[in-house]
Amino acid sequence: MHLWNIAIKEIRLDVRDPRTLIFMLLFPIVLMLILGTALSGAFSGNVKVGELSLLYKSELGEPLAIYWDEFVQGLEREGVRVAEAAPDADGRERVRSGEFAAYAEVHDGGIRFFGSAQNSLESSIVEGMLAAFADRVNLAGAVLMHAPDRIGAIAIGEDQGQAAGGIAIETGLDPDRKPGAMDYFGIVMTTMIALYASVSASNLMRGERVRKTALRLSAAPVSKWDIFAGKVLGCTVINATCLLLVFLFSKYAFQVYWGEHTGVALLVLLSEVILAVSLGLGCGYLFPDKGAIAVLMIFIQLASMFGGAYFPIDMAGGGWLSKVAQLSPLYWVNSGMMELIYNEEMRKALLVSGANLAIAAILLGFSAVIMRKREAI
Amino acid sequence: MNILEIRGLTKKFQDFVAVDDMNLAVADGEIFGFLGANGAGKSTTINMIASLLRMTGGEIRLLGKDITKHPRHAKMNIGLVPQDLAIYEELSAYENVKFFAGLYGLRGRLLEERTLEALEFVGLGDKIKGLPRHFSGGMKRRLNIACAIAHRPKLIIMDEPTVGIDPHSRNYILQSVKKLNEMGCTIIYTSHYMEEVEEICTRIAIIDHGKIIADGTKEELKSIITDTKEIWITVKEAPEGIADALARIGGVNHVLREENRIRIVSRGEVNNLSEILRLLLDAQVDIRAVEEKAPDLETVFLTLTGRNLRD
Repeated sequence: MHLWNIAIKEIRLDVRDPRTLIFMLLFPIVLMLILGTALSGAFSGNVKVGELSLLYKSELGEPLAIYWDEFVQGLEREGVRVAEAAPDADGRERVRSGEFAAYAEVHDGGIRFFGSAQNSLESSIVEGMLAAFADRVNLAGAVLMHAPDRIGAIAIGEDQGQAAGGIAIETGLDPDRKPGAMDYFGIVMTTMIALYASVSASNLMRGERVRKTALRLSAAPVSKWDIFAGKVLGCTVINATCLLLVFLFSKYAFQVYWGEHTGVALLVLLSEVILAVSLGLGCGYLFPDKGAIAVLMIFIQLASMFGGAYFPIDMAGGGWLSKVAQLSPLYWVNSGMMELIYNEEMRKALLVSGANLAIAAILLGFSAVIMRKREAI
Repeated sequence: MNILEIRGLTKKFQDFVAVDDMNLAVADGEIFGFLGANGAGKSTTINMIASLLRMTGGEIRLLGKDITKHPRHAKMNIGLVPQDLAIYEELSAYENVKFFAGLYGLRGRLLEERTLEALEFVGLGDKIKGLPRHFSGGMKRRLNIACAIAHRPKLIIMDEPTVGIDPHSRNYILQSVKKLNEMGCTIIYTSHYMEEVEEICTRIAIIDHGKIIADGTKEELKSIITDTKEIWITVKEAPEGIADALARIGGVNHVLREENRIRIVSRGEVNNLSEILRLLLDAQVDIRAVEEKAPDLETVFLTLTGRNLRD
């Protein structure tokens, strides 16, 4: 019971603090608006086309296998790097890692295509090439069936008819869906602001000591555990609520696309809030006075920059920037979100949530041990 | 019956001994005063009673139970009014009292009743929705008290509750303390203001360097110095070295030199006033007034410790 009373008191205090509203609500919304509109040009228009590359796995029988081999040779002459995957390999991982722009599984029933959201332009081009190949094969099949004497007249580029059965391209990803500026910054600003929960968390215990209310709490018949858990719960609830409001505002006011699995997206955000609260609490115990806030602000800014909060980190190019970026917790969260939203791939998002919660558990345990050793809270 | 018993209480902060083998008993229904200068060990002692600090040694029993073995029992029966204001400026007066009272197990209607009762008692009944940030210092002090009494503790510990407030609020608080006592609370009251302790406390302990150097009623303490008189000499300026010169006069026990006052504690039977005044005139001290005062608790403190209560 004490735990809930303390949590409710914590929520009341935060709601009545204007800094909470300004920082956790207004700040991210304004940033979304500014960055999403000012940098919209960076997400459209002339872009540099990177290397076109295709990894494929072929299970074609004769004569399609012959046509496919010729098509592959044609792609290579056009400058596309093509490689065949090992029979038991999962080519999608190599696309996710940025090694290839696209992966295709080719069999007699059709082509299963997987493109890269990170190299969306390159994968779209390769997809187009595959679509053209499929169209030709379908057309040739139809002509053979109905007018075999006309087969010689089929030339690449002459017919633009719709594929009808025979070969179909199934896209595992929606090639038309890629993030615009507002989509991108709507997501990264939301994930960035979740990290700022650590700043209010760093003041959870210190605030009581500064106000001297720690004396009353310690003198009351309330366990340290109740005080600890109540304050952590209250801080998590208020920050998660602010984040939910930012999420809803971005989705409905700015029309940010959050994908088809918003429940999982919210789970990732919640796990990030819990991580941030635990990090702030730990720093509050480690660094005296206002040192914790200074340390956290530096950490958040670096994590935000390397996590892609201000500009996308292009992984395909490699380099030291992308290596350092992988150390940023915001990078993991944003990568998981992008995979979830644009590739409809939940695995990474769930992994990130799990990692956040595991790290949060360690940090909370550390804070609990320090609090137990102190005479007061 | 003793509500509080302290035996051999010791607190060390590394090499510094803040409380040194203290023995004390507070009877049920007393207003017990701790009188001592800053740093004497008053706050350290009451922090240990309130379980805010761990004892280095000794035992504290509240209502017959050892507080280290029965911490919850001890905390449930103590109300703490800390020296510093311990309230949430962003919560209303009502929310403050209700929150803290709730920590003592009060719920529902009883919680609401006790909250309103506490606020009425301290004279904030018409300010329940007010935020402390808009209160005067005296009102904040009263709220500080309300937060400690809503759960009707058997023992209330008040650590210098009138620091930094106006005389009207101070009087209100002192009257409230007496009323609480009349309602059945035992109160431990610490202060370095002798006048407050003399006015309200039924028994007083004088603390210096972590030890109780005297305890008893006001009369018992003053009887320690029946053969003493105190002479206050108001001067324009008290020169350096004058205290040492006056201390060499026969019968003089202690001399305290303040900015424009010299306080002399002397043996009552020795008639040395003329000699004292002659010395001051020879030193060309501009004497404004001379007063002989009956000994008070501050005199007792000065006699026992050689220092001013407000040092």
